[in-house]
Amino acid sequence: MVSLNDEAAPASDAVLEVEDLRTHFKTDDGEVAAVDGVSFVVRRGRTLALVGESGSGKSVTSHSILRLIQPPGRICGGRMLLRSARAGDIDLARLDERSPLLYRVRGGLVSMIFQEPSSALSPVHTVGDQICEAILLHQTVNKAEARTRAIDMLGKVGIPDPAHRFTQYPHELSGGMRQRVVIAMALVCRPELLIADEPTTALDVTVQAQVLGLIRSLQREIGCSVLLITHDFGVVAQMADDVAVMHRGKLVEQGPVRTVLKHPQHPYTRALLDALPSRHASRRA
Amino acid sequence: MNTAASTPPPLLSVRGLCKHFPVMSRGFRPRVVKLIKAVDDVSFDLAPGETLGLVGESGSGKTTTARCVLRAITPTAGNVLFHLPGRAPVDLVRLSDGQLKPLRQHMQMIFQDPFSSLNPRMTVGDIIAEPLLLHGLAGKAEREDRVADMLARVGLKPDHRVRYPHAFSGGQRQRIGIARALIMRPALVVCDEATSALDVSVQSQVLDLLKELQHELNLTYLFVAHNLDVVRNFCDRVAVMRHGKLVELAPTDQLFAAPAHPYTRLLLSAVPSPDPDVPMNFNVGEELARLDACA
Repeated sequence: MVSLNDEAAPASDAVLEVEDLRTHFKTDDGEVAAVDGVSFVVRRGRTLALVGESGSGKSVTSHSILRLIQPPGRICGGRMLLRSARAGDIDLARLDERSPLLYRVRGGLVSMIFQEPSSALSPVHTVGDQICEAILLHQTVNKAEARTRAIDMLGKVGIPDPAHRFTQYPHELSGGMRQRVVIAMALVCRPELLIADEPTTALDVTVQAQVLGLIRSLQREIGCSVLLITHDFGVVAQMADDVAVMHRGKLVEQGPVRTVLKHPQHPYTRALLDALPSRHASRRA
Repeated sequence: MNTAASTPPPLLSVRGLCKHFPVMSRGFRPRVVKLIKAVDDVSFDLAPGETLGLVGESGSGKTTTARCVLRAITPTAGNVLFHLPGRAPVDLVRLSDGQLKPLRQHMQMIFQDPFSSLNPRMTVGDIIAEPLLLHGLAGKAEREDRVADMLARVGLKPDHRVRYPHAFSGGQRQRIGIARALIMRPALVVCDEATSALDVSVQSQVLDLLKELQHELNLTYLFVAHNLDVVRNFCDRVAVMRHGKLVELAPTDQLFAAPAHPYTRLLLSAVPSPDPDVPMNFNVGEELARLDACA
């Protein structure tokens, strides 16, 4: 692995330290190492992009952090240290499946935005109920206060007429608006780490620009760190401070965005960047 | 008439193409309450051997335009003149289904999703040979030869013909779709988001293949896409659509260097560049709203 950390971060600067994470899946043909010894650090207030092609293990990595891996998959090695300012150091890999601390982590200290906003939202509950559910789970407030906070959050993510939208169902909203609702749900409890798994892949380019801008400004306001999972080097370049390139379950290269994108060291990173249509020689006659 | 000899007539001339969908009221006697103009007065020419990119966001009408051109759906109004070399031009909009059938072999489509566009119960050989069979074009032996030839051209192995689509990766499936479209030796190929579902490295290979085949088989592409970087790299001219209307049509370099329409400018500014020193525009939302308010 090529590491290019020109400014080595002190350990206290980290919000998440992943060390030698291994997540394997049992199949008929033996065990598949979807994540095969991955180590990285997400620093406080910064954005780390995890980039790779489909099947490289980037989503399995993010799901492992929140312990969302279901059999036949399992986390079979490594450490995932969440250095929470509110709850102290927690090794997510060793937490019990049913421990109350894990429930506090999920959606409270660490929250997640998924690619497909329509499948992340329940079709039978109103937008408002779903945001209030997150608030009531993680904060000690009454229902009226939760409602006020939810409407306030809907306004913050740029949804016009939030009090009316509060009572609507997901199917009444466009894709971009639904993704804003998911972002509102994820950030309403002011997490210390936000995991965004391909948050704009399903969106049009003008909507993508707005959603990315929103994630950036809310990140600054809340002061959370972001782990951004993406396959799009454009999104990496515009959003991230650091980048880690994943290939077949391993990290092949990581470092500051500018260094990795401008001077890639690993042949795989170079090949990926050369395949980008904007960097590839024109195919026009 | 001297100029006609130097520049060949366009393979395709689309004039005033419209496709309107009525929205009916519910109830005992449904009435038309609204008309959705999916395609509204779209005109363009496509020269033989050219690649025209048709870009726009979802709902802009680019796929509907492409489908109207192929008469997969019947347009509400307009003309689609299809001019095969050595034949008289025909207006595809005015033809009956029976008259269209012999023309269909000259226009083919490559689809976005390589998973749903291939029949899982047919072998790859049968999938690629099916168009020949439908048009009753070749005997069994010739069909076998042409399938083998097409498989080789798209970079697949001859023994792949006996396998089923599930045994192939996304990129390989897209190659099968390309083979099926090109076995008819069409003049016009509509690529509807043909590389959108693929990873960058696979996308790059498929784009190379499409370009190579275009030169070998003298194909004309109508390339529907939403990825502006792909279009910039691949197309000779680009048409930008929004809300069913064609807002700008220009040669690729000109469109990207000096976009004339404010919407094109906004669209280009919203693309995240892989160069961290080229900032993107995060405020597209407000600027779009201002643009619509002015209109």
